[in-house]
Amino acid sequence: MILQLKKLLLLVILPLVLLLLSLLIGSSQHIGFIELCQRIGLELGLYKGNDTTVLMGSMDTILWQVRLPRILLTFMVGAALASSGGTLQAIFRNPIVDPFTLGISSGAAFGAALAMLFPLLSVNVSAFLFGVCAVALTYFVSNAGLKTSIIGMVLAGMVISGVFTAMLTLLQYISDPYKLQAIVQWTMGNLHTASWSKVHTAFLPIVIGLIILILLRWKLNLLALGDQEAIAVGVNPKLLKFVMIGVATMITASAVAAVGVISLFGLIVPHISRMIFGPNNNIVVWANISIGGTFLLLIDDFSRAVMPFEIPIGVFTMIIGAPLFIYLMRRNEINWNS
Amino acid sequence: MSKSIHIKNLSFAYGKDTILRDVNVSFPEGKLSVILGRNGSGKSTLFNVIAGLEKHYQGSVLIGETERRNWKVGKSNALKLGFLNQFHQTTFPFKVADVILTGRASFSRFSPRREDFEAVDTILEKFNLAHLKHKSYTSLSGGERQLVLLCRVLVQQPDLLLLDEPTNHLDLNYQIAVLQTAKELVKEGTTVLCVMHDPNMAYLFGDHFYLMQDNTLVDLQGMNREQVRKVLEQTYELPLISLDNQGKWMFAPMLHAHDWASIKSLELEGVNNKL
Repeated sequence: MILQLKKLLLLVILPLVLLLLSLLIGSSQHIGFIELCQRIGLELGLYKGNDTTVLMGSMDTILWQVRLPRILLTFMVGAALASSGGTLQAIFRNPIVDPFTLGISSGAAFGAALAMLFPLLSVNVSAFLFGVCAVALTYFVSNAGLKTSIIGMVLAGMVISGVFTAMLTLLQYISDPYKLQAIVQWTMGNLHTASWSKVHTAFLPIVIGLIILILLRWKLNLLALGDQEAIAVGVNPKLLKFVMIGVATMITASAVAAVGVISLFGLIVPHISRMIFGPNNNIVVWANISIGGTFLLLIDDFSRAVMPFEIPIGVFTMIIGAPLFIYLMRRNEINWNS
Repeated sequence: MSKSIHIKNLSFAYGKDTILRDVNVSFPEGKLSVILGRNGSGKSTLFNVIAGLEKHYQGSVLIGETERRNWKVGKSNALKLGFLNQFHQTTFPFKVADVILTGRASFSRFSPRREDFEAVDTILEKFNLAHLKHKSYTSLSGGERQLVLLCRVLVQQPDLLLLDEPTNHLDLNYQIAVLQTAKELVKEGTTVLCVMHDPNMAYLFGDHFYLMQDNTLVDLQGMNREQVRKVLEQTYELPLISLDNQGKWMFAPMLHAHDWASIKSLELEGVNNKL
């Protein structure tokens, strides 16, 4: 009963409340709580105020064109990174894995930089393709059938990451200062460039990916016990792992393509989810979506409201994430596989 | 369909190291067959071949009527085969019920159904483990873990069950509990194949006995107590004394044997180190 209440509160009510409140936060001071309620009431036909169309017009622009796409994109990206991190941690049976372990962030950063220098593809598409490409390389370099080792895969990810980072450095070295600035900003995470078109692009792959993860969430428990334990009860883990790593890659690549690299976030949120709800993926997968979205939204709200200027979100998550991670590590909440 | 295992001319090698040579054996349906042998003698390799973890073998391994190589894990096979590996650790502190529930993973495409949860409850009650249901698996003792993992394999109701040294790390009480469980399953019609270290435990509970010797499997069926003692002496390189325990055979090492030094194959130093 208490668990049910906790679930409802944390996974449904809190995100909804924060989504609404986030509409109030921003550099424009014209929109307060009452105005927002009036606006929503008007939309729903519950409130018939003295319609001051001019104010409504600018308010609509701020809400509809600036804040809402940013809020939605932030929530989707947070949910995607956290879910992907949680999935990979379970599959690799290693709680220090995150969505970027397999090389996706360096691949995507390289792809983005490449598109900025040589605009053959759009930045998003190029980032997505190279992110996926990096993971595919990691997967095939380390793949040894049933004997594929987790450490081998993580090490392969590091090496592939290194290669793409080197190529990114090379691109930065040969690019002119203006493009260099754009590349650096992109790699730091850039929620402030959110737009409806980005929401539209990211929506389908992320939502479809999350639905697949939700459908398969129980099987994650099986994969988290190990390959042989899956075969022992008549399940082929190979296909299942391939699908889930593929989905995790797809949603991470979409998120990174939309807003750049957001470090540590996908590592930390699954830990928070497991601390609250225990390790059962039947609920943790839901929790990662909800808490991931909510938490990134909260961080973004802070960066919008507290500071007079915007700190890139990737820097912010790193600054918040690092001490949190060290704290978790010291408290032994992280179970090392030894 | 017959729930027996037929092995013909099975050979297996890691590179140039021959592990199994020309193994010919049939493990009969509805019996508890035990494979004995020294460390590193190839018992576990044979286990892995039958379990489907090693596919690059020569010869034929028939499970029922299906060649093991052609058996696709995850597809619906005529027979269900479950196995329990040696000791296993998990990273995440899953609850016991959640661990056992994963044993039903082949039964549904997505989420577990009501009958899956019921099956977990049934099996926990059957083994008097209901009090562990909500405990975290990582907090259990080695013996409790082994029983939970056994429940996990059993919850899929296998026709054939393979156990690799299931009594390893367990105290006497849990050793007996695990083997008695295996015995009960045999009574219910399951074919059980068990790799074991301790010949005494084997002879307390087993029906058929095999010994891994010189990379091949020796059938101990039809040998009398004295003959078995001699074969075991050769294998374990120890002078043994055979005893009668209420009709069951026991083999104990003979420490003060007058012919201790006269046993030629004995390398005393090596034995002392191992002891």
